[in-house]
Amino acid sequence: MADQQKFFEVIKSGTDIDFIGKQKYWIGASIILVLITVAMLPINAYVLGDRGHMLNWGVDFKGGSELVVEFAKPVDASDVRAAMTAAGLHNADVVRYGSQSETPSYMVRLGAVSVLSPEQAKKVEASLARIGDASLRKFESSEGGDKVYLRFDKAVEPTTLSAALKAAGTEAAQVQTFGPSQDNTYEVTLIGMEGEVRKALDAKLGAGVVKAIPQVSSVGAKAGKQLQVDGVRALLGAILLIVIYVAFRFDFRYGPGTIVALLHDAVITVGAFAVTYKEFSLTTLAALLTIIGFSMNDTIVVFDRIRENAAKYRDRKFDRVVNHAINETLSRTILTSATVFFVTLAMNIFGTGVIRDFAFAMNVGVIVGTYSSIFIASPILIWLNDKYLTMQKRQATKPERNVRKPVRRDEEEAVET
Amino acid sequence: MERSWWWKAALYGAAVTLAVLYLVPTFVTKEENLPAFFQKYFKKRIQLGLDLQGGLHLVYEVNIEKAVASKVDRLANDVDDALKKKGADTTVVRSGRDDVAVTFKVPSEMSKLDDELMKPFRRELDIVSRDAATGTVKMRFDPDRVAEIEDLSLRQAIETIRNRVDQFGVAEPTIIKKGTDIVVELPGAKAQDFERIKSIIGRTAQLEFKIVDDSSEYMKKVAAAVPKTGAITVAPESWTEKNSGAQHEDVYLRVKEKDREELTKFIAGLTADLAVPNDREIGLELMSSREVSEGTPDKYYRTYFLKKRAGVTGEYLADAQESWDEMGRPEVAFTMNRQGASMMEKLTGENVGRKMAVVLDERITSAPVIESKIGERGRITMGGYGDPFKLQQEVKDLVGVLRSGALPAPLKKSFETQVGATMGQDAIDKAKVSMGIGALAVILFMLIYYRFSGFIANLAMTLNMLFMMAILAAFEASLTLPGIAGLVLTIGMAVDSNIVIYERIREELRLGKSPRTAVDAGFQRAFWTVFDAHVTNFVAGIVLYSYGSGPIRGFAVTLLVGIVTNLITSVWISHWMFAVLVSRRGAVKTTLSI
Repeated sequence: MADQQKFFEVIKSGTDIDFIGKQKYWIGASIILVLITVAMLPINAYVLGDRGHMLNWGVDFKGGSELVVEFAKPVDASDVRAAMTAAGLHNADVVRYGSQSETPSYMVRLGAVSVLSPEQAKKVEASLARIGDASLRKFESSEGGDKVYLRFDKAVEPTTLSAALKAAGTEAAQVQTFGPSQDNTYEVTLIGMEGEVRKALDAKLGAGVVKAIPQVSSVGAKAGKQLQVDGVRALLGAILLIVIYVAFRFDFRYGPGTIVALLHDAVITVGAFAVTYKEFSLTTLAALLTIIGFSMNDTIVVFDRIRENAAKYRDRKFDRVVNHAINETLSRTILTSATVFFVTLAMNIFGTGVIRDFAFAMNVGVIVGTYSSIFIASPILIWLNDKYLTMQKRQATKPERNVRKPVRRDEEEAVET
Repeated sequence: MERSWWWKAALYGAAVTLAVLYLVPTFVTKEENLPAFFQKYFKKRIQLGLDLQGGLHLVYEVNIEKAVASKVDRLANDVDDALKKKGADTTVVRSGRDDVAVTFKVPSEMSKLDDELMKPFRRELDIVSRDAATGTVKMRFDPDRVAEIEDLSLRQAIETIRNRVDQFGVAEPTIIKKGTDIVVELPGAKAQDFERIKSIIGRTAQLEFKIVDDSSEYMKKVAAAVPKTGAITVAPESWTEKNSGAQHEDVYLRVKEKDREELTKFIAGLTADLAVPNDREIGLELMSSREVSEGTPDKYYRTYFLKKRAGVTGEYLADAQESWDEMGRPEVAFTMNRQGASMMEKLTGENVGRKMAVVLDERITSAPVIESKIGERGRITMGGYGDPFKLQQEVKDLVGVLRSGALPAPLKKSFETQVGATMGQDAIDKAKVSMGIGALAVILFMLIYYRFSGFIANLAMTLNMLFMMAILAAFEASLTLPGIAGLVLTIGMAVDSNIVIYERIREELRLGKSPRTAVDAGFQRAFWTVFDAHVTNFVAGIVLYSYGSGPIRGFAVTLLVGIVTNLITSVWISHWMFAVLVSRRGAVKTTLSI
């Protein structure tokens, strides 16, 4: 066709940006981000006192408290959630409980509030070793961290125990016997979730809105050990199969780049959660899976073009082929990533709660996912290709093995041009 | 247009119609409003998960006392075995929850119970007293271990419940520990669906094999004490050993099904001389008599005088399957693992000619005569001539329950209520709005950037959503938040596939190809790119589905379905739609709106 058709383009065709030439800066930036993530986890756990954990594990992973709240007047679930957030109890699950009636009941699940740090717990345990003539046989913190279970060999008055705890620097909201009386076990509630929740609701919805809180109990993690083990196993299995598939469809040189890129994206997204200390929940986990899928999709599209061009331009240097392929696919890379980014940005802006967390993870993940295909996966591919070629060259110099002379990049160039 | 285009049109049209039919029930909220046609053929719908719709909230109490008691029983048996190995004649009995009494027939043999023998039990059993005169050693279970068992039982129970619920394909239930209780939340709203799941969760599934003791005169003594006027009758039974020809005979008690309570009361009331010995118990089996009176077979309970100690338990079960007996009635066939098989061999080898009771949750299901050594295989008959369909279902459930393992302690449902969505209606509404805005932005972008081709892409993506939802409905899949994450990923991939293809077509056009060849070349070249990207994700999805559980699985389901429908819509269906654009009869177009 004589008249060249005009298109609406963000990236003009024929654009040639040198991505690969500047790769060391990009890789350097990635290494810094990954290092920040790796450093941030222990910093969260040990240095920043108000954080206390590597990630802000949600009630899904860590367990917490469950309360049933009966209201004296009609109240909406969103109001209850807002009241919790206002009082600093983020990401509470608020669920309508029981049958629909004029005055609703809600079940509120809250993430654990750790009251005792491990050092504090040790101190308290030591100071409680002997009370009167009874000695402590067992000291155990609840999964939620807001309760402590003490077991003595002889009976102890709860009031004496309260006083002893106070002397050790820990205020107990409630001390009561636990289990059969001959067990001499006491449950010490360190923080009264009931009081906290009541206060939060009164402050937001007016005093007297709470009719009763008939149930307060600590609950375990939704994602138990088994689920976590299953999850890790599934991920490792998936990674292995992807390497095999990519090796089979492309070449073994293409596999590692894909995997490193997707791990890179997952790690940096986790890093974003470590730095912001946003809650890490099952939804975040789902977002991580999505990001991994997206990253893989992106890398495969770029690699596919590299493979195609590598066959077409056998006379060019491999890193130039890669750079050319990245430029050719740049338009689609930017369009796709921008589309997904803006859709998830909309979810981040207009959504609430878990949707927002999901969208936040996606926003971070889409950016690093796009970036990693170009700046992480491709350099690894080039590096592996170089290694492969030098290895072949070395083998070729051994006379007895020199069956067929492998084509070398520089030689090829010389011949064809 | 070519003939094949029309064929494809018919095929795609049929697929769309079918998809719409499958989706109608999902969008009709009330089942009653569904036309009869749908009630009959298209009843399945997409279930919403706990986070989006809520469901049933169940609280189970774990009977820790019972778990501790059975642990103490096991220890007592082990002590007994160790003593028997040393040649001592002892009876070991548990009383209360924690106490064990070992009685030596010859008091002087008491020295055999020394520190060496107690070594393996040191952490768990404390010796309380030794009475040389009566030859009785009293022990007590270490109270510090109780908490350990409590913890272990809870964890094991949660695991078992998860396995059982998973077998039903209930997507993403919540199973959590709450103090010493277990909370189970099941998504969905229809009460009748829950009944079967509830009965399966609560089933202990404790399988035991106990030897029937017919050699004592005890049952005859008891039979003599049976009141003449009551519902209880005494019946004799006798059988001959196949190989040795030795005679066995004993008596048993029987009552009609409705008079069960009278029999249990009578047994519980046996005292003094007639009291059931410490190491024995009386078990009941529901039997159907052969004589048919008034059309329905009579059912009655009969007694067995059993050794209390189970020779082998379901702990050693390797597998269970559905099977049928000679009469074609459904039953459960099971296989023991290696250890169980050798225990079974020993037990049956020592008791040839006697009866062995198969006890499931403290009810005898059958008590066949042991004719020869039994190894690893056995079966559980369901008993009775019930409704065959119901019987079949019972067998299926029992197989599932046996496979998932026994609960460490009986469960008691202590509370049940409906709960709302964990995400909250307000959050769901906002999510819908934000996703709507996102979708609108994508549609507008495609239209502006690719003009008429963008319209085709939007159509293809809409069809993708339609097919995806229809398949989810056909599978009765549950949609949860992680599932929606999978959906978002596939939509992202759908957008990407279209962009990859269109950019490719543009490249071909830039090379000066005619629209028609450019479209064909673009689709052909982009196909492998799109295909590889999809297959890599599909492979990952399969692994996530088969190894992952809960939310990971939910994510994988929508991902897998979405990848397949996306490949079909964005590659084949949109290529087919492009045919309209590039080839009109008569005139060859020179430009392409892309």
